[in-house]
Amino acid sequence: MKKRGWGVACTYFGMGNTAKPNPSSAFVEVCEDGSAIVLCGVADIGQGSDTALGQIAAETLGISPERVNVVSKDTMVAPEAGITSASRQTYVSGNAIRFAAEQAKKILLKEAAEYMEENLIDLESKDNRIFVKENPGKYLTIEEVCTRLRKRGILVTGTGTYTPPTPEALDPETGLGIPYGAYSYGTQIAEVEVDTETGEVAVLNLIAAHDVGQAINPMAVEGQIEGGVGQGVGYALMEEMIVENGIIQNPSFSSYLIPTSLDIPQITSIIVEEPEPTGPFGAKGTGEPPSCPTAAAIINGIYDAVGVHITSTPVTAEKVYKALKQKGKEGG
Amino acid sequence: MEVELLVNGKKEKIKIQSNVTLLHLLREELMLTGTKEGCGIGQCGACTVLLDGRAVNACLVLAADVQGKEVWTIEGLAQHGELHPLQKAFIELNAIQCGFCTPGMVMVTVALLKENPHPTLDEVKEAIKGNFCRCTGYKKILEAIQQGADEIGRKV
Repeated sequence: MKKRGWGVACTYFGMGNTAKPNPSSAFVEVCEDGSAIVLCGVADIGQGSDTALGQIAAETLGISPERVNVVSKDTMVAPEAGITSASRQTYVSGNAIRFAAEQAKKILLKEAAEYMEENLIDLESKDNRIFVKENPGKYLTIEEVCTRLRKRGILVTGTGTYTPPTPEALDPETGLGIPYGAYSYGTQIAEVEVDTETGEVAVLNLIAAHDVGQAINPMAVEGQIEGGVGQGVGYALMEEMIVENGIIQNPSFSSYLIPTSLDIPQITSIIVEEPEPTGPFGAKGTGEPPSCPTAAAIINGIYDAVGVHITSTPVTAEKVYKALKQKGKEGG
Repeated sequence: MEVELLVNGKKEKIKIQSNVTLLHLLREELMLTGTKEGCGIGQCGACTVLLDGRAVNACLVLAADVQGKEVWTIEGLAQHGELHPLQKAFIELNAIQCGFCTPGMVMVTVALLKENPHPTLDEVKEAIKGNFCRCTGYKKILEAIQQGADEIGRKV
């Protein structure tokens, strides 16, 4: 027979490389036509950093995202932005880009303030215009400001750099210290179905709530959550690297099993936004956290369904079957 | 040896070694690198193309066996500069992350929709079970396929 159960698990996950500086740098230029170039050596491996980082620059400068050109792939010309890993690029490179854009924006605002005879503090930059906050009808387009500056030989550029705050080396003896500048929190709930005759486990539903500080691009964040959950399901139920004498015994897809479309539960992502004070517009990363609590949630769901607690992954049908048989013997 | 076939509607005549795969022919001889090699042994689906209308793993087809046949790859989908409804849906719904599985996913779906223009979600999952994706968790891919299928259905 099939029995269903629910399991919950939580995670907290540090942003950036552990207990050491991991800086990023960026250059930003606002061009004479009011568009912008962002130069930053971030490798977008599909997670969407080019898009999100472009959005951060656009938001900071007050230029539409379509008018921001992110140049990231050429490490011969783009400043170093560290590894695309450790769930760090939105957080670290995002800040570097924001600082660079702020520097460029200062040049624009100063020029606009002088020309419009307004105080800097009274101006805002948004939708490709610099306008008086209390009187938006009084404005200059960013293109106009750049053209004016160029006539006087001034180009609008900025540089930014950032490394997460207070990463210190951990004490070599005690392991104590401050390993990360920010943490991402998540909770996942799994509904599982266990076949008591075969031990097979199916994950029917997976609800994943992840605190990302501020979702720069919600669709991209969903993509990370859904992908991470997929990886978590594989880690929980299917994946096992078998190594003998240093040689991987199962180096192919037919022997190292990863989830297919038939193995994935119904995934519901919930984006939680609790602003990260040190992040760009409150954002922090979400690359790895979604794959972290999944296995625990599934295992807890199995316990809820059939009363056996599996303590190793992958949770194969054999393990569940044996545990159920053992439980039966013990009269549980 | 020489092999002659139709690729994306165009006649191609290519000199090949007798032991190369269709995947090699497409990528190395015709420079059609949209079709990807994920495993080379027919397990991942990244090399899915249409061969006489059927979805096949190009890495498992000998180039010598496609003499006189018709192949469609991802490059052949957009017509007159306009993207295919499936391509549009994949982009719109963020069903593409690293993009490596994408050409295979789209081509296997083209084959599915030829046979079954209005598949259920379960039928779609079954059709793409041989195409691995590690990035997306499949959710947005399934949504994009359904949106693309609806769009094609509307146009017909």
